[in-house]
Amino acid sequence: MKFTITREKLHEGLGAVAASIPSKTTLPVLSNILVEATKDGLRLSGTDLDIAVSTIIPAQVDQEGATTLPARKLSEIVRELPSAAIRVTGSGEQRVQIECGRSKFKLLGLSRDEFPAFPAVKFDGAWRVQAKELQKLIAHVAFAASTEESRPILNGVLWELRPDRMRMVATNGHRLARMDVPVKGTGGQADLIVPPKALEQIRKLFGPDEEIEIARSDNHLGFRSAGTQIFTRLIEGPYPNCDQVIPRENDKIMTTDKAAFTAALRRMSIVASDQTHRIRLAFANGACKLSVTTPDLGEAQEEMTVAYEGDPLEIGFNAAYLIEILKYAPTDEVRMSFKGPERAMTCEPVGWDDPASYLTLVMPLRLLD
Amino acid sequence: MAILPDAVANQIAAGEVVDRPASVVKELVENAIDAGARHVRVEIAEGGKTLIAVSDDGSGMGREDAILALDRHATSKIVVAADLVGVNTFGFRGEALPAIASVARFQLTTTDGEGDGTEVTVTGGRVERVAPVARQRGTTVTVRNLFFNTPARRKFLRSVSSETRAAWEVIGILALSHPDVGIEFVADESARLQVPADQPETDRLGQVWGRDVVASMIPLGHAVGSVRVEGMIQRPADARPTGRRTQLFVNGRPFRDPGLIRAAEAGYRSAIAPGDRPTLLLKLSVPPGDVDVNVHPAKLEVRFRERFQVERAIEEAVRLALGGLDASATLAPGGGSAGWASPRRPMAEASGDAAWLPFDQAAPAAPDAGISTRSFAAPLFQLRDTYIVFETPEGAVFVDQHSAHERVLYEQVMADFESGAVASQRLLLPITIELTDEELEAAERVGDSLRRIGFEFEPFGGRSVVLHAVPSPHPRFDATLCFRELVADLARGRFGGWANQLERFAATYACRAAVKAGMPLSEPEMRSLLVRLFATELPPHDVHGRSTIVTVPVDELERRFGRR
Repeated sequence: MKFTITREKLHEGLGAVAASIPSKTTLPVLSNILVEATKDGLRLSGTDLDIAVSTIIPAQVDQEGATTLPARKLSEIVRELPSAAIRVTGSGEQRVQIECGRSKFKLLGLSRDEFPAFPAVKFDGAWRVQAKELQKLIAHVAFAASTEESRPILNGVLWELRPDRMRMVATNGHRLARMDVPVKGTGGQADLIVPPKALEQIRKLFGPDEEIEIARSDNHLGFRSAGTQIFTRLIEGPYPNCDQVIPRENDKIMTTDKAAFTAALRRMSIVASDQTHRIRLAFANGACKLSVTTPDLGEAQEEMTVAYEGDPLEIGFNAAYLIEILKYAPTDEVRMSFKGPERAMTCEPVGWDDPASYLTLVMPLRLLD
Repeated sequence: MAILPDAVANQIAAGEVVDRPASVVKELVENAIDAGARHVRVEIAEGGKTLIAVSDDGSGMGREDAILALDRHATSKIVVAADLVGVNTFGFRGEALPAIASVARFQLTTTDGEGDGTEVTVTGGRVERVAPVARQRGTTVTVRNLFFNTPARRKFLRSVSSETRAAWEVIGILALSHPDVGIEFVADESARLQVPADQPETDRLGQVWGRDVVASMIPLGHAVGSVRVEGMIQRPADARPTGRRTQLFVNGRPFRDPGLIRAAEAGYRSAIAPGDRPTLLLKLSVPPGDVDVNVHPAKLEVRFRERFQVERAIEEAVRLALGGLDASATLAPGGGSAGWASPRRPMAEASGDAAWLPFDQAAPAAPDAGISTRSFAAPLFQLRDTYIVFETPEGAVFVDQHSAHERVLYEQVMADFESGAVASQRLLLPITIELTDEELEAAERVGDSLRRIGFEFEPFGGRSVVLHAVPSPHPRFDATLCFRELVADLARGRFGGWANQLERFAATYACRAAVKAGMPLSEPEMRSLLVRLFATELPPHDVHGRSTIVTVPVDELERRFGRR
């Protein structure tokens, strides 16, 4: 194996793969990056067995070959090298010499045969999606997935792929995010439950204008563009039917400025309990009163003018959930709708010039007096 | 009708004051201490049935007083009735000596250090001989053949070993109440106790109660108003259901009071396994005018003017002491306290409020384990995903994350019950849970409590319930699992020993809602848990009476590495 590559390209490629390298593992080869010099360029691959990432970067390959090298050390070396051509020469299967300017390194790796094979996903007849559409869905929905282990299905994001639209839904049972995007000719129909960690890689590693091919095997999903491939394990099982629980008869509507409401919520949270973040909202006559009382700590109140239609309402929330959904709201103004103190609140953007539709939902906290 | 002759009156008095050899020992040693003795030697033979001899180096008596002492109601301790209030000496009725002399072959040898001593020999209450004798300053009383002239009483004496044990109990209590006096106790020619004068109290307690017991105890010190409580109490983890000892003193005077022992046990509430009884040594100081010690002939019971305040002082003192890191388990040979090896300040010096509280950089006004949150700035380390390890100036501290969280949640739930400020998260997707018949019944029985901590549920046909809202005590909380385990525990009567239903419920919930052992925690999570643990009332104890904290003292490390 022998190739020459610019420091910048190698640095970029290692950065893309690094996220899939586990920091702790019982299988030593997983700490390594698979380095393959091919006639198409240099292919770098890493996996933690849940997600696998592989990317091709341009390089002048003089002699094809492959090995695995410790990801961390290789990245550190490349980061510290001067901006110049790097020449990599394999000597034997597991020994590599790296030369750049007047620096010279020899690194020991592990045989490429030890590196796990990537999931066999056939891209024949793959679905096709614009990266930016997929990335918009991910950016607005994936945050809401559960991190708690009691209901594994909720640890994933539901991705409904249809010929003319895509939808993502994520919830932890306390709050939910859902987005629909109209698309053209995906060429497929599937309901997939994807780990958010894989979606995060898809958001980061594909360029917005790339077209991504997507295909699945029994329990894996593959994403492919010209240079990059990402594979992930799928979460099995039926995702709960969320359409059923999203309220349709919420009749109390509040419209407010996102930044002002967020600022008020953040102020209230300072005095809210560290554990429950519970605050109280009271709506009436074009005003929203925010208040919080925490035993042993103190209390706070704030009143802000909002557009509110409907009967007066008092309702409790985990302030952290409200601040979070507002953070992901794509517009400066948001519309929140309520039914009662024990019923779900929904939040939608106001005046979004995007064909997508976006909805977030937060379940209230019980108020006791 | 005739007035009883003195001899008969003395024998009747003897019935009240002197019922067994141990009470003779008690009266005589108390007299010696009242006489200002620095050293008292007590010797008995055959449980005191044949011989009781008590010698002291106290003030002694002249010839006149020596003879007078054997008259009923002869006393140097009070003169007028008003002296009875606030009496500080042990004896004061003037009944003991004549009563003892009336039922034994009695000999009193004494000198006040001026001129010859006096030896008075009395048999069955009749003075037989008064003779001059040479003796150093002090008094020796020798009692032989106790009850020789009252065969009925003699028959009621128990075996030699049980009478010896009773005398030993009496000596032990006296030794504890007078650390300034050296005491030697010899039974059937073998030395049972030999303690020097002015001994540190913890050393003395170790000799009297045994070092193992004392190593499992921690000091306490607390004052409420004019009531001050000091002493030693056992760590909850070392307490057992049987074999405990308790001893109460007020102003140095031993007394019995089950009510005050219960007050101390109330201080252990939620920190000790049900059924375990801690060993306690409590020394109360109250103004002499606030306690009446003259309500029982043997002065075993006392009356407090402000009883409620005394109980409160004791309960608070126990609670405060248990809140200290000292109350946690230490890792030292034999599982005892390594703190014992280093000499502690004697209790007598513990006049400053914080003197007995560990880590006392500042006098803690509120419960304070003394570990400042600063300590947690040091690296935290999670051992086996179960124990949080950090360093303090005293050594390495291990905290069991589950036990610690249990303590935090328990106190939080109890506070929430009081304030009603429970946050209950409504669920978007209600959870259906299948229960057994017993569990369903238990869930319905404690339905109110479950709702008060935030579980909203309703029957869902058959044995299922559906959860609509759940508490959310921490981000890793698994509501489904917690509800299942909680209901199962309640159905099986776990924590059945807890008297208070609300406390039992809170303990069960705390146990089930807490993070489990084996759960990896991030460093901020560990830090937050420690901060919250040390903000609780009793950081070192979980709700099962186990320790939440184990310390490895620097001393112990140095010893194991051969540095000392």
